[in-house]
Amino acid sequence: MILLGKVGIGIVGSALAGAGIICSEGMISVNVETRQPEKHHVFVVAPAMLVPIAMHFIPKEHLAEHAHEIQPWLPTIRASLDALRESEDITFVEVKEPGHNVRVAKSGGSIVVDVNENDETVHVSTPIRAMSSAIEELAAASPAPTR
Amino acid sequence: MRREKPAVAVSCLLLVATIAVAIGIARGATTAKPAAERYLHVKVDGGAKGESVNVNVPLSMAEKILPTINHGDLHNGRVTISSADINDVDLHAILDAVRTAPDNEFVTVKSKEQDVRVAKSNGNLIIHVRDSGKESGKSGQKVDITVPMKVVDALFSTAKQNELDVAAAIRALGEAGETVLVTVQDAEQNVKIWIDSKSGAE
Repeated sequence: MILLGKVGIGIVGSALAGAGIICSEGMISVNVETRQPEKHHVFVVAPAMLVPIAMHFIPKEHLAEHAHEIQPWLPTIRASLDALRESEDITFVEVKEPGHNVRVAKSGGSIVVDVNENDETVHVSTPIRAMSSAIEELAAASPAPTR
Repeated sequence: MRREKPAVAVSCLLLVATIAVAIGIARGATTAKPAAERYLHVKVDGGAKGESVNVNVPLSMAEKILPTINHGDLHNGRVTISSADINDVDLHAILDAVRTAPDNEFVTVKSKEQDVRVAKSNGNLIIHVRDSGKESGKSGQKVDITVPMKVVDALFSTAKQNELDVAAAIRALGEAGETVLVTVQDAEQNVKIWIDSKSGAE
């Protein structure tokens, strides 16, 4: 009975530790609501850590192609992400017009994009740490510069 | 004795955790507060549909990102101006003359269509343009530009004649304090560009 209890604690502990590790980079959330012509609602919340993991499964040649394109901009992207991480919560861009609002902001370690239109609402939130991990994965796939 | 061991271990852990938290709090209390962040704000109001656009950028962020961009005429935070654009004008000499000159109006142009005024006042370079819109048939426009001289100095601080140091100018803007840089007003739109220590535009 005691052994069973210890095994149970071990399983629960491992599950909690695993969940903690998976969620350590935050969660990506996507919420898309369409009101016209038909009502649709897509709501996805996924651990951000899955992004760099999923990138391991993308064929190397595809990844290398994109990595080559992004290569000249890597220092800028890295500097931007570092600066974003250090910045306090802020709304970077806000566009308002009748029936159409767009907002790009940093909120709690994530970049949040909100688009509100008469027919559609889109909300995307991505942790900056996950963006960094994904970019580094992409950078690693790039062939070494021949300079 | 065996039962006491876990209790001792838990007590030790709690003690270590308490000390760690106390050190963290003490560090937070003693760490000097960094200089206040400055933000560049751009606000555009109006338009036919009554749109509004707000852009807020921390200057420290711009300062870090700009030197990493190497594209077109922008390299390491500096913009290269082609000699054709400069037209063999010695910008550094002009700036030096403006810097050493006392507060004064340098250029005043008055016409039916436009009034233009370029002046130096209280350490700022000021440009006012008033367009009546009479000849073009459009509504009038008011443009006011105020640039701290320190920013102008920083912009031309490079040794090369045909380069503008934008990164240095942004650094100087951060040190210049809260200031309204540009306002444009016409019948359709209002544009305002300014620097302050608030992260929001309101």
